[in-house]
Amino acid sequence: MNTLLSLYKEASFIRAFELHIAVASEAGHVPGLVHLCSGAELVEVAICRSLTGPRDQVTGSHRSHGLALAMGADPVAVAAEILGRKGGLSKGRGGTQHLIAPERGFLASNGIVGAQVPVAAGAALTAKLMAAGGIAATFFGDGAANQGAVLETMNLAVSLNLPLLFVMENNGLGQSTSADYASGGADLCARAAAFGMKAERMDGYKGARAIKQSAEIIDYVRMSGKPAFIEANVPRLSGHYFGEKADYLAHHEADDPLEDLAESLDSGVAERVRLEAEQAAHDAVSDALNMGEAAPEKSAEVVL
Amino acid sequence: MSEKTPLQMTIAQALNRAHHQILEAEPRAIVIGEDIVGGAGLDGKELGGVFGVTAGLASRFGTSRVIDTPISETAFVGMGLGAAMTGLKPIVEVMFCDFIGVCFDQILNQAAKARYLSGGRIDVPLVIRTTMGAGDGSAAMHSQSLHGLLASVPGLSVVCASTPSDAAGLLKSALAAPDPVIMLDHKGLYGMIGDVEADLPAVPIGRGRLVLKGSDITLVAIGEMLVRATKAAAQLAERGVSVEIIDPRSIQPLDTDMILTSLEKTKRLLVVDEGPSYGGFADRVIAVAACDGYSALSAAPQKLTPPHTPVPYGRLLEAAWLPSSEAIVSKIDEMMYEE
Ligand SMILES: Cc1ncc(C[n+]2csc(CCOP(=O)(O)OP(=O)(O)O)c2C)c(N)n1
Repeated sequence: MNTLLSLYKEASFIRAFELHIAVASEAGHVPGLVHLCSGAELVEVAICRSLTGPRDQVTGSHRSHGLALAMGADPVAVAAEILGRKGGLSKGRGGTQHLIAPERGFLASNGIVGAQVPVAAGAALTAKLMAAGGIAATFFGDGAANQGAVLETMNLAVSLNLPLLFVMENNGLGQSTSADYASGGADLCARAAAFGMKAERMDGYKGARAIKQSAEIIDYVRMSGKPAFIEANVPRLSGHYFGEKADYLAHHEADDPLEDLAESLDSGVAERVRLEAEQAAHDAVSDALNMGEAAPEKSAEVVL
Repeated sequence: MSEKTPLQMTIAQALNRAHHQILEAEPRAIVIGEDIVGGAGLDGKELGGVFGVTAGLASRFGTSRVIDTPISETAFVGMGLGAAMTGLKPIVEVMFCDFIGVCFDQILNQAAKARYLSGGRIDVPLVIRTTMGAGDGSAAMHSQSLHGLLASVPGLSVVCASTPSDAAGLLKSALAAPDPVIMLDHKGLYGMIGDVEADLPAVPIGRGRLVLKGSDITLVAIGEMLVRATKAAAQLAERGVSVEIIDPRSIQPLDTDMILTSLEKTKRLLVVDEGPSYGGFADRVIAVAACDGYSALSAAPQKLTPPHTPVPYGRLLEAAWLPSSEAIVSKIDEMMYEE
């Protein structure tokens, strides 16, 4: 399968997975609120293709379903964790914002905006000291870009020469606050460059270019042992959390990178791949739904 | 309508009304936080906070006094502190108390100590409003109850309101206090309806509220645990067990007089709390009973808290983690039987 088609396949799977999680949420099967990654799949798959767990480790934000999948975590176990089922990655203890699959290179996702970024610096330090060629990557939003923890880590990574790739997914919004308002100096890429690291923009609508650019910059981090930064523009297609109803959403509608990608492919082939992905995602979420709810193992007093 | 006519509203609505009254009456009062205006800057389409507590403030008082911030808790909590030290009266909202980890230095070392280190020359009329509580599947980093932890820091007052009138009244007292006050609202109680007076009178910090008079056992609880305690007490009453319930409202300073006076009568104490079982609020209340109420006690004071683990996510796990009203009933049965 050619590269673009396989990108489309993986990204379509994540899109469909999120849709089935949304359906499950609507039916009342998800304990909490879910932050879907719809719109960012293409960038996440393109970057994670050049990373291999467990040698490489990735950390992500509250919006990390797709990242865990892109790193190769078992979709049924990811779905089961989001649904609070026994077979979840962490046996239903962590949930949607706390997906953890280090065996596949997905070290952790996080309920605290920005907190995943310093943790990735630690994974980068391990990779550096182990000298087995691994690196770390951390994904965060434009909102998180204003957290002290993120800015401190950028400086730290430069000062210590850590093999760490910062990926800022700029969707223009942090919850219901616009990035234009929240970020002094709207150019967040220049901000990263000012710390003294290689910093590039990635077009979240251009699959082929994203794959090539990811491979190159990851190669740079791996070979030089230095940090680098990517600012990717991605849309946030399904609200801050699924089911959010607020007036501002209507003013932030955006094109869908997956539709753009599909248009560049043979339409018959693309449609077949999309349907297969849809079926696979449906099956994964159904399998997870069929598992029992995570329950206390001994008496009601013992939760772990 | 007279100022004293009782109205019915939710805790979220009472807090919202109190914010409006405070900003109207006190030109130096300001409100700071994430998404407290919200709505991505579209006029007339503000979000008004994720729980609606700050709705309508920006359009009425302007965005120079109702200030949306970047996601930078250290910076904006510190800014609130500095503003309080220099003449403003800030109410700073930290969306969930779990996020206090991000800005803990500004609270622990800066806000809590500023008045003391100034030899009392600088007042710090800072209010930090935040939320607490499990029960809605928000998992380990959006569900904690950190009232006990915060109350352990000298220099901070901590209040937890469990009715609409207390929420509004404590907010008013908090802003009038010379030291920083942290107010934790239980997320599960924002929709709880109760009577309030239209002018939302201030409720003094440090005074508990006697929720239910009883004679067999004293039960201390706040927030959702207070709701469950009240339910448990009703069940026990049917069987002739008379529970006295105290809502301390203020965690620090604590109304120890009210608790000790009650113990004189009931001779038994149960604290039900969502905070941690090690060194949490429940332990503090028990220490007060053991040290200052020992002679009144006829049984060892007890507590019901969650097990000492992070808050789990799965529904059954979370339900098992939280003390239930059934667990309160059986604990009290056990304590009554013991003697
Ligand atoms: C420390 C902290 N502050 C605030 C929040 C609440 N919150 C969760 S997600 C979010 C917006 C994050 O925006 P961004 O980093 O751009 O990521 P996006 O949601 O757009 O993917 C906010 C404010 C939080 N979880 N943690």
